[in-house]
Amino acid sequence: MEKKYLGQRVIRNEDPRILTGRGKYMADITYHNMLHAAFLRSDYPHAKLNSVDISAALEIPGVIAIYTAEDLGDYWHPGPVLVPAPHSIPGITANSRTQIPIVKDIIHHQGEVLAMVVAENRYIAEDALASIYVDSDPLDAVENVEAALKPGSPLVHEELGTNIATYVRQERGNFAECKTKADHVIHQKFIMDRGSAGAMENRGFCANWDEDAQQLTIHCNTQSPSGLRNSMAAWFGIPEQRVRVVVPFVGGGFGPKVMTNQPEEVLCTFASIKLHRPVKWLEDRAENFIGTTAERVQVHDCEIAFNKDGKVLGVRDSFLYDTGAFNPYTATIPLNTQTHTTGMYDIPVFLTEFTSVFTNKMICSPVRGAGRTYGVFVMERMLDMVARKLNVDPAKVREINLIAAEAKFPLETGIIAQDFAQFVLDSGNYPAVLKKAREMIGYEDFKKNQQPKFRAEGRYVGIGLVLFTENTGVGPYEGTKITVGNSGKVFASSIYGTQGQGHFTVFAQIVADQIGCKVEDVIIETGDTDKFAWGTGTFASRGATVLGNAYHHTATLVRAKILATASRLFNVPESELELGDGMVKVADMPDKFIKLGDLATKANPMRGTIKPGTEPGLEATGFYAPPYGATAYGAAAAIMEIDPLSFNIKFHKFIFVDDCGTVINPMILDGQLHGGIQMGVGNAYFEKLVYDENAQLLNGSLMDYLIPRATDMPTKMEIGHLNTPSPLNPLGIKGVGESGTIPIPPLYCQAIEDAFNLPDLFITEVPLSPSIVYSLVEEAKAKK
Amino acid sequence: MEIKGDYTFNGPRPVVWSVLRDVNILATAIPGETTLKPISATEYEGSIKLKIGPVSGVFAGKLTVADEVVPESCTLIIEGKGGAGFAKGTGYIKLTEQPDNKTLMQYTGELGIGGKLASVGQRMIDSVAKSMIKGGLEKLEKEVAQRL
Repeated sequence: MEKKYLGQRVIRNEDPRILTGRGKYMADITYHNMLHAAFLRSDYPHAKLNSVDISAALEIPGVIAIYTAEDLGDYWHPGPVLVPAPHSIPGITANSRTQIPIVKDIIHHQGEVLAMVVAENRYIAEDALASIYVDSDPLDAVENVEAALKPGSPLVHEELGTNIATYVRQERGNFAECKTKADHVIHQKFIMDRGSAGAMENRGFCANWDEDAQQLTIHCNTQSPSGLRNSMAAWFGIPEQRVRVVVPFVGGGFGPKVMTNQPEEVLCTFASIKLHRPVKWLEDRAENFIGTTAERVQVHDCEIAFNKDGKVLGVRDSFLYDTGAFNPYTATIPLNTQTHTTGMYDIPVFLTEFTSVFTNKMICSPVRGAGRTYGVFVMERMLDMVARKLNVDPAKVREINLIAAEAKFPLETGIIAQDFAQFVLDSGNYPAVLKKAREMIGYEDFKKNQQPKFRAEGRYVGIGLVLFTENTGVGPYEGTKITVGNSGKVFASSIYGTQGQGHFTVFAQIVADQIGCKVEDVIIETGDTDKFAWGTGTFASRGATVLGNAYHHTATLVRAKILATASRLFNVPESELELGDGMVKVADMPDKFIKLGDLATKANPMRGTIKPGTEPGLEATGFYAPPYGATAYGAAAAIMEIDPLSFNIKFHKFIFVDDCGTVINPMILDGQLHGGIQMGVGNAYFEKLVYDENAQLLNGSLMDYLIPRATDMPTKMEIGHLNTPSPLNPLGIKGVGESGTIPIPPLYCQAIEDAFNLPDLFITEVPLSPSIVYSLVEEAKAKK
Repeated sequence: MEIKGDYTFNGPRPVVWSVLRDVNILATAIPGETTLKPISATEYEGSIKLKIGPVSGVFAGKLTVADEVVPESCTLIIEGKGGAGFAKGTGYIKLTEQPDNKTLMQYTGELGIGGKLASVGQRMIDSVAKSMIKGGLEKLEKEVAQRL
């Protein structure tokens, strides 16, 4: 395998356009006759809708149309289930409820669409919203997942007779039996909440129906151009080939933008087909907080059974998961929780069961970390409980329980994952990651030499070290088409969504290695369904792994065509040909060479003949499909000081160790981890969507919902790498997009407890905040 | 949100009561362009223009006076909604005669809010409510003085 560019810190191809303000985003998309949409959203989390009076709003000059549920006719129906229930698991309960484009009778959450205004501009559209009169009767709302399951609770979907959406139980071994054999069993409840994806750019959608061509063109910052194309084609009865989705540059995805069949998408398309004009909508921040998707609370009831030598025999985790008012994504998040709980530990017995619960809140869908964070949080916290109980160092407890370096990979876990296949640990060296993390953070030195000094000075400085796994790069598949053009430039397209991950560079590196050209001569096209028609979308940290290997595979096919064509041209065997510097050379004959562009022209002559049975041009299409996901893993460690007055946190040192197999571009990899860690810091100490008992959101602005600032981050993040190639794919890649986020909340808990060193300070709920930690510390002191 | 407080008027109880039960006075006591029209002896309809932090808008609503004991106490029920959200509240007012022709007003209430008003304006609501009550009571005090 050629490896000239793979693994190099190649400067990003896309940066000149983005950094000079020439990259187009959704707000830049415009047509001369474009209309603008605004949506009237429900203030009530749960209510009976009696009527929507649009008559006054229709009188406003510049208002073109106002649509309510009745106007949709046959287009009014619930959307499809986006991710099916895991039916390969026996005994599951699966109640499915998907959202509708506009409320007809019952309002299920705050932010649901009640009416759509289409106007000459957004100002008029927003003004018209204020003139629509809604008559509705509020109903009792379901806010809390535990209360939702009690008899007499209000029901989100009355006809179901229950608030249970999904129930799944998976067991490895027999936990009841295991408990009786253990020296110790500890029982503990944990609560973890996660928040908004908080992308800098909110959602945006522009539909343009061309009545003459019978063609629908959509601009949208979706993570799944193919999913969006397929869903709109199905909803409106248009052939997929007549629906073109184009994704401009995107200011962050992080999960929610993978959702398709969203009310705004259906309604803008509907309006454009009705009005024969382009209709555009840009989501504002207030809408994003109530009308898109987010991740939310899980309540875990856990038991850990272990022996006095620190060896864990078994774990039970029974948890509730708040899925919001509808569950189109079914169980991806809690399945990820189940597969990531025991992680890289050798825990023979594991019972995990979850009940996903309907509430009158915005829909839940994966946000970077996507359920893995909860599993890692409860496991790491339980290991800290074992350490306390046995008075053993937390890092030592981890060491005792790690899967050995000599283990025979792949290791089957017996737990079904988000891709409905068994979760398999494909490769890894787990003791090595712990060792590297201890060395990088200076674990022993801090505990022995530094911490006693800080404590003597009355300073609260603590250390934390936690481990995690990240199942990445799941199927079903991705594909690409690569063409060497007459200019020598290589055009390499896929349908994949791109949101700043450096796709224009990393995939170009992979292709350039095979074609023998410069990275900047490979033009990566993403997210245009007319350039390549097949693929699934950006989720589960799968771009580099699944699409990267598809690019690699397709590039080898093009390479074979280059060699075959040049071999015929020079009349020499392929074995005597060399590819490099954008040309094909005959070995040891400096005057015998041809530039790739010239070869492409010869491969596609405009007159004469080509060899019968061959294809013209230097072009190929190829696909890659993994059998199951590749599991990345790593460690995070920090030394942090808590200010005893403000309870703000200052990092003395922060390190992160990651093994994502073969590294394509170390600079972009570090960037992915930095961004992920920032979201993890948010999950640990800042970000939480707060609802009152009526499921009314209380902090729907960036004034009150806090996203960590640069000054809340470690000033330096030292990143170390291990490289255990995945045996699942030719390039040996594992994903990394979500790794940074996953281990940060338990890291904060462990380090904060270590800083205060109080026997009764044990943190069981995140996110934390300065005032929460202050209260916990005061409570713990009072007990002392 | 809970509202609770008391205020002493410089005037006898019947005068304070008459001011409180005068819908035109009440409308001017609430800041913003407030209108209140009686639809029965104890029910009023109207609108109020509010600005709470970044949220502003006109709220249409209904005020109902219940459990009226002249000139001592009553319960006020308000319900309103508008483009920026909704509010629903119940308040209880009690007037007690004090020496020197003064009247003590005690008030308690509960106010529930929702929509943009709650999700975006949350941090400002307490202080806005307090300043509205303070401003309103000063207006009522002035009216009481004029009627003496």
